[in-house]
Amino acid sequence: MDIQNTVKNLHPLEVRIIRQYKRGDELSIEKVEAELQFKPGNGNQALSWLLGKGLIQEIRREPLVFFELTELGELWAREGTPEERILRLLAQEGALTMGELAQRLKLENKDVGSAYGLLSKANLVVMDEQKRVCLAPGCSLGADGLPTAGPGSQRLRLIRGLLERALKLREGTGKGEDSSGLLKEESLSPEERELMKSIAKKRGAADSAFRIVEREKVIYTFTEQWQAVSQALQEAGITGDEIGALTPELLASGAWKNGRFRSYNIQVPPTRLLVGRSNPYARFLEDVKDKLVSLGFEEFDGSLVETEFWNSDALFMPQFHSARDIHDVYYVAEPQKAQYIEEPWLSRVAAAHENGGDTGSRGWRYTFDREFTRRLILRSQGTVLSARQLPKAKIPGKYFGIVRCFRYDRVDATHLSDFYQTEGIVLGEDVNLRTLLGMLEMFATEVAGAKEVKYVPGYFPFTEPSVEVHIKHPVLGWFELGGSGIFRPEVTQSLGVNVPVAAWGIGIDRMALMALGLNDLRELFSYDIEAVRLRRTKESL
Amino acid sequence: MPKIEVHEQLLYSLIGYRWEGREAFEEALTCAKAELDEDSDKSLPESERILKIELNDTNRPDLWSTAGLARQLRLYHRSTPIPVYPFFSRPGQALPTTYRVIVDGVLKDIRPYIGAFVVKGKKIDEAQLKDVIQTQEKLCWNFGRKRRSIAMGVYRTALIQWPVRYVAADPEATRFVPLGMEEKLSLREICQKHPKGIEYGHIVADFPRFPYLTDSAGETLSFPPVINSARIGAVEVGDDELFVEMTGTDMESLALAISITACDFADAGWTVQPVLVEYPYDTPFGRQVTFPYYFQEPLFCSLSRIHRFLGEALDQEACLAALRRMGVRAEAAEDREARASRPEPGIRVYPPEYRNDFLHAADVVEEVMIGRGLNNFAPLKPQDFTIGRLTPITLFSRKVKELMIGLGYQEMIYNYLGSKKDFIEKMCRDGSSIVRISNPMTENYEYVRDSVLPSLLMSESVSGHAVYPHRIFEVGKVAYRDSSENYGVTTRQYLGFLHAAPEANFNVVASQIQALFYYLNRSYEVAEVSDSRFIPGRVAAVLCGGVKVGVYGELHPQVLENWGITVPCTAAELDLDVLKDSH
Repeated sequence: MDIQNTVKNLHPLEVRIIRQYKRGDELSIEKVEAELQFKPGNGNQALSWLLGKGLIQEIRREPLVFFELTELGELWAREGTPEERILRLLAQEGALTMGELAQRLKLENKDVGSAYGLLSKANLVVMDEQKRVCLAPGCSLGADGLPTAGPGSQRLRLIRGLLERALKLREGTGKGEDSSGLLKEESLSPEERELMKSIAKKRGAADSAFRIVEREKVIYTFTEQWQAVSQALQEAGITGDEIGALTPELLASGAWKNGRFRSYNIQVPPTRLLVGRSNPYARFLEDVKDKLVSLGFEEFDGSLVETEFWNSDALFMPQFHSARDIHDVYYVAEPQKAQYIEEPWLSRVAAAHENGGDTGSRGWRYTFDREFTRRLILRSQGTVLSARQLPKAKIPGKYFGIVRCFRYDRVDATHLSDFYQTEGIVLGEDVNLRTLLGMLEMFATEVAGAKEVKYVPGYFPFTEPSVEVHIKHPVLGWFELGGSGIFRPEVTQSLGVNVPVAAWGIGIDRMALMALGLNDLRELFSYDIEAVRLRRTKESL
Repeated sequence: MPKIEVHEQLLYSLIGYRWEGREAFEEALTCAKAELDEDSDKSLPESERILKIELNDTNRPDLWSTAGLARQLRLYHRSTPIPVYPFFSRPGQALPTTYRVIVDGVLKDIRPYIGAFVVKGKKIDEAQLKDVIQTQEKLCWNFGRKRRSIAMGVYRTALIQWPVRYVAADPEATRFVPLGMEEKLSLREICQKHPKGIEYGHIVADFPRFPYLTDSAGETLSFPPVINSARIGAVEVGDDELFVEMTGTDMESLALAISITACDFADAGWTVQPVLVEYPYDTPFGRQVTFPYYFQEPLFCSLSRIHRFLGEALDQEACLAALRRMGVRAEAAEDREARASRPEPGIRVYPPEYRNDFLHAADVVEEVMIGRGLNNFAPLKPQDFTIGRLTPITLFSRKVKELMIGLGYQEMIYNYLGSKKDFIEKMCRDGSSIVRISNPMTENYEYVRDSVLPSLLMSESVSGHAVYPHRIFEVGKVAYRDSSENYGVTTRQYLGFLHAAPEANFNVVASQIQALFYYLNRSYEVAEVSDSRFIPGRVAAVLCGGVKVGVYGELHPQVLENWGITVPCTAAELDLDVLKDSH
């Protein structure tokens, strides 16, 4: 045992027990609480701490007997035992038959019978020739309702005494007794104890006044270790009266100067705090935004509800073509259509679809449906914002958005009802395949922390050429970071842009899952408050 | 993107080469924008191994078959010469043929177009038959928009009496034994009882007459786009002369599909013979069209465009070599692109017979890129200088979030779609301005939230076990109906927060609002308001400069009961877009 460590970790209650008693003394909860004026419960606590530290050991257990006042006992205590009541009634009315006694006192015949037996044995009552019961000659009752003299009266007196004491304990008005509210056998006189033997029962005590309750008193003594600890306490001058909390009063009075501070156990696990903080996934997204801003990109955002025009038609996705079936969109129920699509964009895009307009394209060669194009949907791809940005973009310009998109798909571990897409565009004379590859490399390094990149020809209906970028992530291995391409002229020229425009999109959810130690996309949007409170981002790699 | 099952042995025999190992094969597939979805089971004998491959280009239906994919890979990796397909007719140059299909004029408004060809010279084996069926499925499903614009049928030529007739037939009176059944059914009955009729019959079911293909002896070939006949239309392994037809609603994609299928057969060693289709009405290709029909037009792309968009000054020779590698015929030329002022050097590209994806010179640029090899273009750091910045609402939202965290709140992030029960009923609202989806997948994702509060309450209702107090907030989007907007819907950025605890009460949330506004440096007023979500008399509207920006108060116990919440809650919601612009 590390003496110094133990000494530091002793509670003042323990210190006082150690200092008060010595090796060989018998200790018990009752003794300690009585002699050291501990509050109820503290004795138990202090001794169990000492036991846990190996400073005391149990040497024996003593049975402790208590008597608990039963319901019947309580009734008797308040209204009188059957014997007492019979005596009182007889004193008032002279002679009554057993039946009359039962009736008048509302007692059972058998109870009257056994009470009569006890009373007559004690020579307190007699029965006359008419089988009536009356007080025995020479038996008179005192003011307290009990017979004034005779050996029989002793018994009644004792019973009355016990009942009243027990009632006071029950009501909490008894003094100097055990705090459990029960009559302690130890506190009874020998006569009382003798009497209890005939009254109290252990089992089936419903028809007796007292129930026997058996408990154990545990006796402890100090172990060998006590010696060294006691000595160390002496040397350190620790008395158990050290200062606990430093209060404003102690500071004001300066009394702290005369005391010593109790050392605290610094190993005790602290209480948990509930704090305010950001959501790690939301934070992750904001961090990605910051990285993109640092690369010169300007953020854009827009309406959750869009038209087929901006979501797909302006991106040169033909209205009735398998390209439109790549993913499914959600349609708005009311209203169904936008009131108008801005000109000149509507006409120019329609022309591009039908015959290429003046973009130099053949077009898709079908009749563009101007009603269908106004149909309202929940935006299904971030590229819709890129399309919207084209008419008002600066040149050179770089734009991005981390935007919520909606797709008609079943919800499971890898698909969500709505999710984020990170997309953007780059406009300028500088834009071509090689600078596109350079930009993708920049994303791979700066945003994804990747060491190796690979480019693969890709396909998007609105870009030509298109390139996918795959990265080797330090933990996740090879995966597709995103796709990009140069917007088709049918897209850019219809919307008034005459320089090359690169469009790109990167998937960051996989990295978010990894950073947060999750596997299921749905957990990113978890409703569980505790799960979110406990979720932490791992250190960046 | 279509996924096809490729017979491994057939693929490699058509290519004439096999790669070592998965990685090498995946690398090889990139020129066709294809990905290996699932490798074959190597424990099976070679003749049974199947590869699952995903094709990403929706404009290259020619790649959606083993034969087509093999063609592209063979051209690119084995440098085989560009194939010559001698069986194509061109505008003004129809090849002679004895096979004819005669079209009924009534079909013009029903299912107007049909094209066809005949193949012979080999016996069809199981692998190839499977591939033909797969092609049929993929082309008609993906490219033919679930058979609407293209449906295909294959028949045993030996049983056909020429010419074939494509007619509009009486749905009740016309009866034949369809493939897969034993007895004769009328066309209408087929739509009702045959599995293919149930699946595809709706395409024609509303018309007074149905498309019907028959031979000169009156024998049934099929009921397009639904099902073949059990006799003429049941192709089997070992058949050596086949008639392939396609019907549909778009002439160009139909012709392309025919060209693709014909080339696939030719590559496999079959001889393709043209079929003349006679229309009594005008079609984009005339009234007499011999299939397979080459309708594609050449396209010019200038070298300056290639230079500009690829970032590399490639000369004509380099470009032609790249295109040759892709299997695309091209020649050096001088011409003008649309919008160009004068002719420039460049290349003229002749789209392969099986492709129709050259809409713009930009398509040539990508072809050169892939042909040359993406790895041969060195990445270049972008040079343009631009200043990055966040939107004003993002910046404002960050300030708000920081203050909420300082008030001891945990930030949450939620999905925006939910159910009527959660967004309207449990909230004791009438939902008159909420945005509803007309094609939800389930009722759980039928509405777009118009408030952050239901999301927060959902959290509280599933977090009863978590130690209290609960203080949660979200800054996120909501949408609601607004007739003053072009879209009839407004999207806003809202702050919503919830305090669930035995000690939550009006005074606490009022203090929090006060602190928030102080540090946002905005003054506000409160006004009485009636809001069914809150306890009457314990709710306040927040106004800035007379404009309502939000509301806060004690949530109504009926709302809490609806959500199964058993601690009192206060809540607040603010429109950050409006708040940001007010002072």
